[in-house]
Amino acid sequence: MVKFLTKQVHLPYVGPVGLWVLLFVLIPMGVAVYLSFVTSGPHSRIIHEFTLDNYRALFTSARLLILARSFQYAVVTNVVCLLVGYPLAYWIVRHGGRFKLLLLGGMIVPSWISQLLRLYALRRLAGDPGIINSVLLGLGVISSPVKMLFNPTAVVFGLIFVWLPFMMLPIYASLEGLDQSLLEASVDLGATPFKRFFTVTLPLTKGGVFAGTILCLIPAFGDWLSPLILGGDRVLMAGSLVRLYFISVGNFPLGAAVAVILTAAVLLMIYIFIKLGGEEAIERLV
Amino acid sequence: MENRQSIPCVELRNVVKRFPGVLAVDHVDLEIEQGKIFTLLGPSGCGKTTALRLVAGLETLDEGDILIDGKVMNDIPPYRRNCSTVFQSLALFPHMTVEGNIAYGLERRKTPNHEIRKGVGEMLELVGLEGMEKRRPSQLSGGQRQRVAVARSLVLKPRVLLLDEPLAALDRKLRKEMQVELKRIQGEVGITFLYVTHDQKEALAISDTIAVMRAGKLEQAGAPDEIYNTPRTKFIADFMGASNILSGKVIATGDGKLQLETDSGLKVIALHNEGTGNNEITGISVHPELIELLPSDAGLEGDNRFRGRVIEMIYQGDFIETKITLSQTGELLTAHFPSRLEMVTRLSPGEEVLVHWSPKSSNTLLA
Amino acid sequence: MKAGKIADIIQRLGVILVYVVLWMPIVILVILSFSSHAIGLRWQGFTLQWYVQVLNTPKAMEALKNSLFVSTVATVISTIGGTLAAYGLYKYKFRGRSALRMSVLLPITIPYVVTAATLLIFFTQVIRIPMGYITIIIAHITFSAPLAVFIVLGRMARVDWTLEEASADLGADKLTTWRKVIVPVLLPAIMISAALIFPWSFNDFTITYFVAGVGTMTLPIYIFSLMQYCRTPVVINAISSVFVVLPIIGLLLVTFLQRKETT
Repeated sequence: MVKFLTKQVHLPYVGPVGLWVLLFVLIPMGVAVYLSFVTSGPHSRIIHEFTLDNYRALFTSARLLILARSFQYAVVTNVVCLLVGYPLAYWIVRHGGRFKLLLLGGMIVPSWISQLLRLYALRRLAGDPGIINSVLLGLGVISSPVKMLFNPTAVVFGLIFVWLPFMMLPIYASLEGLDQSLLEASVDLGATPFKRFFTVTLPLTKGGVFAGTILCLIPAFGDWLSPLILGGDRVLMAGSLVRLYFISVGNFPLGAAVAVILTAAVLLMIYIFIKLGGEEAIERLV
Repeated sequence: MENRQSIPCVELRNVVKRFPGVLAVDHVDLEIEQGKIFTLLGPSGCGKTTALRLVAGLETLDEGDILIDGKVMNDIPPYRRNCSTVFQSLALFPHMTVEGNIAYGLERRKTPNHEIRKGVGEMLELVGLEGMEKRRPSQLSGGQRQRVAVARSLVLKPRVLLLDEPLAALDRKLRKEMQVELKRIQGEVGITFLYVTHDQKEALAISDTIAVMRAGKLEQAGAPDEIYNTPRTKFIADFMGASNILSGKVIATGDGKLQLETDSGLKVIALHNEGTGNNEITGISVHPELIELLPSDAGLEGDNRFRGRVIEMIYQGDFIETKITLSQTGELLTAHFPSRLEMVTRLSPGEEVLVHWSPKSSNTLLA
Repeated sequence: MKAGKIADIIQRLGVILVYVVLWMPIVILVILSFSSHAIGLRWQGFTLQWYVQVLNTPKAMEALKNSLFVSTVATVISTIGGTLAAYGLYKYKFRGRSALRMSVLLPITIPYVVTAATLLIFFTQVIRIPMGYITIIIAHITFSAPLAVFIVLGRMARVDWTLEEASADLGADKLTTWRKVIVPVLLPAIMISAALIFPWSFNDFTITYFVAGVGTMTLPIYIFSLMQYCRTPVVINAISSVFVVLPIIGLLLVTFLQRKETT
């Protein structure tokens, strides 16, 4: 046994992290899965009996709608971030010049400011009372405050606002690392700028797009801060449900079931990404 | 002192090293004399680098023994062996100065500071890098980095210095300069060098002894002129540039000479070799530069005179590489004719020629 | 090339627009933090009173101290553990290697709420430790260590590892080699990890919220409580400017380190 252990040279290095992952990632997830199949009784006591009640409850129309809408919002967020982020990154790489570093920094810094503060700033801006309303009222453009918040659009805008840098930066990295000689070769072979983009640039930056999607779609899917701050009680997302059941209500099994569904959905998405050729994205991340 | 001189500095006894799927070192026996430059020569994958790493302790052997100064080193880790390695990539510590790099080994031995300074100073002088102490590796040229790597290892006064293709990354001119430098340094310091290279010319220039390896086995070891002029196997002959290899058997002897008949029917004359049985001989090899061009009116009487036709001529500066097919048997010979000869410059492809080499130039092969 | 010029201008405007929208809310907050008027846009005078008020609020200072403590501990442990793991993953082939690689990725590829919730379950149901700074630190490490692993792993591929052999060859044992060769060579990546992990941990709210108990107060939690229960949370403006300045400093630090790494 001792001989076996001394042969495991890698243990002192990967041991700590491996143990940590086991203890604080894998086991908790296993426990969560288990909990999703039991119920909680009075005083939040767990009744250790197998049941599908939690899942049944979640597949009622109301809650299912919330989950589906979460996915919808996340997808919209992702698409918009892509449509804004990709051209932006492209422009900076090709025309940024002296300002490249500044522009890049201008995208990185917001990603380091607390999500809480950024959303708060949005609320102060668009809320009632809020800055925009004060200005417009003051200028006499409107006679009564515009209600910009507490609807799905505001929530989605908040999601885009928060997660845009995370989509843009991997794409930027991917574009920056593009081998210019490949583009030159395609020009040499007679491709128009339009064709060049779709046949050379886009496929080669697939990795960046996938990485950006993973860093944008998945957090947006489980976000509960934007719905809370910009949506109030009117807009709920999957993450809001998790918070509700774990913190507010104290119904762990139900919350666990939501978590399991969320995780399954995300893992399925990742699986599809990989099948669609996101292998390189994973390689770049890993 | 006499005792030490007679023990080989490094010895490999029946050493075997296996990697998954390949036998890298296959029962190799060799002895390296004290104070000499011993070169392991061979193509990529022949096991020479593995053998070197086994001596350094960077790989563990599967069978056999490695001895340094007569002491078995098999289970001793690299940092406790009395040898030092100059790596192919040089492996200079990028975050330390030249001084820091050279002093590294001495610091590990807890040498007092003033001695370290002295040692570093001596080394810088030896390799010709005085004044460069405070520079970083990134600020040095290829040749300079080379010297730092050598100095770093030599300052520890190892019993043997191991060099793994140290000049591989340098350009041709720099390489030649460094070869001379290394030989000079070795002469001054007197430490045994175990050198690994795939470049025959480099091995010939620098070595006291060359050992040719192939597929994990040691094929032949000897002085440079031995390996060059009298390679024992077809592989070595070809590797050293004696590209004219004629397989055949001895059919007659006499007069201190041997007559071989090649598989194609050519009759070639070589000198009789004491110590090798005639039935062990499998052919001969001839170096291209030993083939002479005769005037076309000279006759065919005499040893090793053949008619042929020029197929190709490639100008190489001091010689012209000429490919000739022999009229009698169609064999292809490669000759290096000196370009200063008028006779040679007047040649062109398609012409008939008469070539000759002396029996002394026929090297008998045993495998 | 009139058309080209117009297209160019439109593109530039587009880029500017994105940045304005992205930065405007924060910039306004920062500007307002210097305004003596509590709410609204009326500028009644430049003042630092909000900053002074924050400094004089014990709760805020307490929260700041706690955040610094938690983030520092989390950063140090994550970076060390992550570096070791990256080394092990890169240099050794062992059973379970790809499994480990995949599972290390897990905390950051599934929604944060899920990981936070599973940790909450684990802490309360399984190992029953009181929710507090320990649990926050554990949660933060769980999320940051993967980042450190992959940043250092990326650097490992670009290092000439014969340096390690050279060090051993010259007489250094493993520990000394780590001290004198491996860590200095990996330092830029280690520092970048730390520079990314610290602000993330300092700013984190969504995860800390789940695993903080009653009474544990980090700065983001403090801000959130102000937001929820305070009618006019003016001090938030002041706090937020700090939060804006810190990342900028962090970024400058990272660019400086990146320059060092490329030499």
